[in-house]
Amino acid sequence: MKIQIQDEYFNLHSSGALFWEKEKTLIISDVHLGKVSHFRKHGIAIPQNAVAENFKRLTDVIELFCPHKVIFLGDLFHSSKNAEWQLFQDWVTVCTGKLILVAGNHDIIDEKHYHKIGIEVVQLLEIGSFFFTHHPTEKENFFNFSGHIHPGITLRGLGLQTLKLRCFFQKPNQLILPAFGEFTGKYILKPNQDDIVYAIAGNEVILINN
Amino acid sequence: MNREELFTIANNWFANQGWKPFPFQTQTWTAFLQGKNGLLNAPTGSGKTYALWLPIVLNYIKENPNYKTKHNPGLKAIWITPLRSLSVEIKQAAERVITDLEAKMTVGIRSGDTSTAERTKQKGKMPDLLITTPESLQLLLASKGYENIFKNCSSIVIDEWHELLGTKRGVQVELALSRLKTVAKNIRIWGISATIGNLQQAQEVLLGIDTEAYHNSVLIKAHIQKKIKVVSVIPEKMDAYPWRGHMGLHLIDEAAKIIKASKTTLIFTNVRSACEIWYQRLLEKYPEFAGEMAMHHGSIDRETRLWVENAIRNEELKVVVCTSSLDLGVDFAPVESIIQVGGPKGVARFMQRAGRSGHQPGKESVIYFLATHAIELIEASALKKAVENGVIEDRVPYLNSWDVLVQYLNTLAVSDGFFPDEIFKEISKTFSYQTISKENWNWILNFITNGSQSLHAYDEFKKVEIDENSCYKITSRMIAMHHRMQIGTIVGDAVMNVKFISGGYIGTIEEWFISKLKPGDTFIFAGKKLELFAIRNMQVLVKKASPKKESKIASWMGGRMALSAQMSELLRQELYRANTENLSPELKALKPLFLRQRKESIVPTADEFLIETFKTIEGFHAIFYPFEGRFVHEALASLLAFRISLIQSISFSLAYNDYGFELLSDQEIDIQGMLDNNLLSTEYVHHDLQKSLNSTEMARRKFRDISVIAGLVFTGFPGKMVKTKHLQSGSQLLFEVFRDFEPDNLLLHQAYRETFEHQLEEGRLIMALERIQEQEIVWKQCLKPTPFSFPIITDRLREKLSSETLAERIQKMTASYMK
Repeated sequence: MKIQIQDEYFNLHSSGALFWEKEKTLIISDVHLGKVSHFRKHGIAIPQNAVAENFKRLTDVIELFCPHKVIFLGDLFHSSKNAEWQLFQDWVTVCTGKLILVAGNHDIIDEKHYHKIGIEVVQLLEIGSFFFTHHPTEKENFFNFSGHIHPGITLRGLGLQTLKLRCFFQKPNQLILPAFGEFTGKYILKPNQDDIVYAIAGNEVILINN
Repeated sequence: MNREELFTIANNWFANQGWKPFPFQTQTWTAFLQGKNGLLNAPTGSGKTYALWLPIVLNYIKENPNYKTKHNPGLKAIWITPLRSLSVEIKQAAERVITDLEAKMTVGIRSGDTSTAERTKQKGKMPDLLITTPESLQLLLASKGYENIFKNCSSIVIDEWHELLGTKRGVQVELALSRLKTVAKNIRIWGISATIGNLQQAQEVLLGIDTEAYHNSVLIKAHIQKKIKVVSVIPEKMDAYPWRGHMGLHLIDEAAKIIKASKTTLIFTNVRSACEIWYQRLLEKYPEFAGEMAMHHGSIDRETRLWVENAIRNEELKVVVCTSSLDLGVDFAPVESIIQVGGPKGVARFMQRAGRSGHQPGKESVIYFLATHAIELIEASALKKAVENGVIEDRVPYLNSWDVLVQYLNTLAVSDGFFPDEIFKEISKTFSYQTISKENWNWILNFITNGSQSLHAYDEFKKVEIDENSCYKITSRMIAMHHRMQIGTIVGDAVMNVKFISGGYIGTIEEWFISKLKPGDTFIFAGKKLELFAIRNMQVLVKKASPKKESKIASWMGGRMALSAQMSELLRQELYRANTENLSPELKALKPLFLRQRKESIVPTADEFLIETFKTIEGFHAIFYPFEGRFVHEALASLLAFRISLIQSISFSLAYNDYGFELLSDQEIDIQGMLDNNLLSTEYVHHDLQKSLNSTEMARRKFRDISVIAGLVFTGFPGKMVKTKHLQSGSQLLFEVFRDFEPDNLLLHQAYRETFEHQLEEGRLIMALERIQEQEIVWKQCLKPTPFSFPIITDRLREKLSSETLAERIQKMTASYMK
C-alpha cells in the first residue's frame, strides 16, 4: 500500500517493512534477531526453524525492493552475541546497499562488531525533515519514524466479532512501524481520531475505516 | 510384638479418647500391618486420618520394641495433602497419637510455606513423619542424594486422592510414586478418597497398571452415609428473579434470614469474585454481622485463612463466605447451615459441601441452594434428585501428559541424574503413561537434550546433558535453579503478590486481572477496597482506597465449570417435567418464566429439540438447546459453526452455558437449509471437530498450561523478577511459533488432544447428536430474545470461528477509538 508523507511516497509492506521510494531506502524495525537462540541457550526449546524465518523474511524484502540503503530502527539484535550473529554476518555479506542501525534498548552488542561488518550505528538519524529513532519521539518541524512499541490494533464488528492485528500506526507527525521479526508479539494501541491505522492482514496492508 | 498386642495399644488409645474404632478403621490397620497397599474410601470428618496414622505408628513400634526409650531416626512415612493449609491439622493428629503412645517420633511439614532454614535442617535430618504437597515431593526428588532420604521410608499416604485424580498434579504423584517404588523397596502406598464414580480406577491409577503394588492391594469403604437435605431458596415474588446473572444478590435477604437462624453458616460461591462481592454486600446491608463475618478463598494469605479456620472452630464466626478452598479437610463442628450460591456443577462437590454442616451424630446435613438466575432453579431441582439417588460423577485421569513427563525428567536430571532405560520401565507401569511408545520416549529425550528432533548447525541449546556414563543430567546451575522455581507452577495463571506500599502481604492475584488496571484504579480484593499504586518486580503495590471510589471486583478465570453427563441427564428430565402436571416447588416457582418462554417459543418436551433465531442490534442470533452441559455445547457449537462456514462464507462468535449455545453472526442463517445439509449428522464428527479446532482458540488456551508445565514459559522468580524479562514470552506467541515452525511437536499435539479428551468430550458429543436425531426439530423464529436464551446471549466470553478472509472481515469492522 502506497501512502504520501510530506510530498514523499512510501510503500507499506505486509512484512512490516517500509520503503521510501525516491531514496530507495528500506526501513525496518524490531527484528529481534537472536531471540530464539537466546531462549534456547537458556534451556527453553523454541523451534529452531523460527531462526531461519527471520533471515528469509529479510532476504525476501531486500529482493523485492532492491534498496540502496536499509535503516534498522532499533532492536535489531535481541540479546548479546550468540550463534545467530554468524548467520547475520552471512546475510550482511550478500546484502547490497548501505546498512544503518539506529540503536534500540535491546541493542547491547558493542558497536565495533557492527562496524567490522560494515554497519553504521547511530543513536538517531535526520534526513531532510524526517527523523528516525527507536523510541517514538516528537521533534518540532520533523516527521518521526520509529518502532519499539510493536503496535497492534483491535477491530470490532457486528456479531461481536473482534480481530487483533499488527499495524503501522500513524500520528500527525509520526509513523510507528510494526515489529518485523518472528516471535516478537504486539502491543495493542487505541487510536485517537486523528491517528491513521494500516493493519497487516496476511499478505495485505489495509487502511482501517475511521 | 504381634498384631494382637499392637491392636490392644490402638484400641486402648481409642478408648482413652472416648471413641470406638469404626470397622473401616480396623480393616485399614489390619491391611496396613499385613504389608498391603490400598485405597480407603472415606469422607471428610469420618476419622480417616486415624485410620492411617495409627498403623504407621504401630508399625514403628513393631519394628522398634524399645520405642519408648530409644529413637530410631530417619524418614518413615510421607503424608501428601493437596492443600498445604490442611497440613497443620494433619500434623496435630499425628502428634496426638505419638505423644499418647510415648513413641519418640518426630513430625514435620514441608511445603511452600516452610522456611528455607527449616528445609535445610530437614534435609540434614528428616522427621520420621513428613507432611507435604505433591509439588514439594517433586522438589525433594530434585535434590541431590534423594535416594538416601527415601530408602527406608515404609509408607506414603495420598490424602484427598479424588481431588488430585483428574488433574496434572495427580500425574505428578503417579510419577513420584513410580520412582519411590524403586528407591524405597518396602514402601506401602495408600490413598484416601471421597466417594467418586470410578473408585476402582482411582485405585489402579494410584498403584499402577498390573504392578506388584496393585495386586497386593485392597479397597476399603467406610460406608458412612450422611442424610442430606436440600432446600431451594425461592423468593415469595418470582417476578424479581433475574433472567441472567451469576451472583444471586437479589436473594441476600433470604440468605441473611438463614444466617441469623443458625450458629454458623458457610456460604459457598463458585468463583472468588462472587465470594468478594457477597462479602462486601452482606457487610453493607447487614452491618451487624461485622466482626462475626469472614472470607476464605485460595488467594488470601495463609495466616488469614488459618485464623478464619480457627475462628470457625471456636464458634467466633456467624458467617463465612468461601469458595472451594473450604471444601476439603478440617472439620468444623459448629457449622449448622450451608448455602450454595449458583450451580455447583457436580453432585460429589455439592454433597461434600453439604457434609460440612451437621457434624453432631444423628444430625442431618442441610444445604440451601440459592439459584443465581431463574433457569438455575431447574438445576436445583435436578440436584435434589441426584442426591437422593446417589448419582456421583467420575474423575477422569489424564493420559500421556507429556508436559508433566518433561518436567519430571528435568527434575530427575537436576538431582542425581537418570538412566533412561530404568525410568522408562518405571513410567510405562503408571496409568498415565501406560501406552507410551519407544518413539514417544525418544522424542521426549531429544526434546530435553537437543531442544529439537534434529541437530542444527549454530544451535546452542542447553538443558539436559548426557555424561560419559550415559547418565542424563542438568549441570548448569542457572538452568537447575530455573527448573526448581518452575516445579510449583503446575496449575493456574501467573500470579503476583499483592502488598501494601507500607508493607504487609495481602494475597496473590492473577496477572491478567492486574494487567487490565492502571495505577490509580480501585479494586476489591480480600474484602478490602484497594488502589493500585504500581506494579514492580512481579509485585502489586497497593494502598487503601477511599471508600467512595468506584471499584472493580477482582475476578478469576477457571471459575467456569461444566455439568457432568449424569447431571445433564437429570437436568433434561427435570425440564421436560415442566410440560406436565407433576411440578417440583422449583418448577412451580418458575411458572411465570415458562409463560414468557411459551409466548415467543416453546418449553421443549423429551421428543423435541429446540432452535430459536432472532435479530438484535448485535446481529443474527441462532440458539440451540441440547441441555447437555457446557463442554458438549462448546464442542457442538464449534462443530455446527464449522459446518455452516463450509456452506457459506461467514464469521461467528460462539457462546455457551449448561443449557444451550449460540451462533451469532452478522448474516442471517437459513436454519432449514442447513438442517437439510446434514448439519446435525454424526458422520465425520471427529474430522469436522478437528478442523474447527484449528480455527478456534481452544487448543491455544490448553497450550498455555502445557507450555508452563513443560518449562517453555519462564515465569520468573516469585517476588524478585529481576533481569529475567528477556526470557519471557507470551504463551499466545509461543503457540504460534510452534504451530508455524514445529507442527509435529508432541506438546502441541497434546494441546489438541486434551481439548478433545478433557474439554470437548467427543464421546458425549456423539451420543448427544444421536439423541437429537431421535427428536423432532422445532425451529422458532422469534421476534425478540426468549427467557431461555437470555443468559447465553449476554455472555461475553466468546469463541470465534470464521471462513471469511481477513480482508473481507476487516472491511466490515472498525477500530475502537479513544474518546
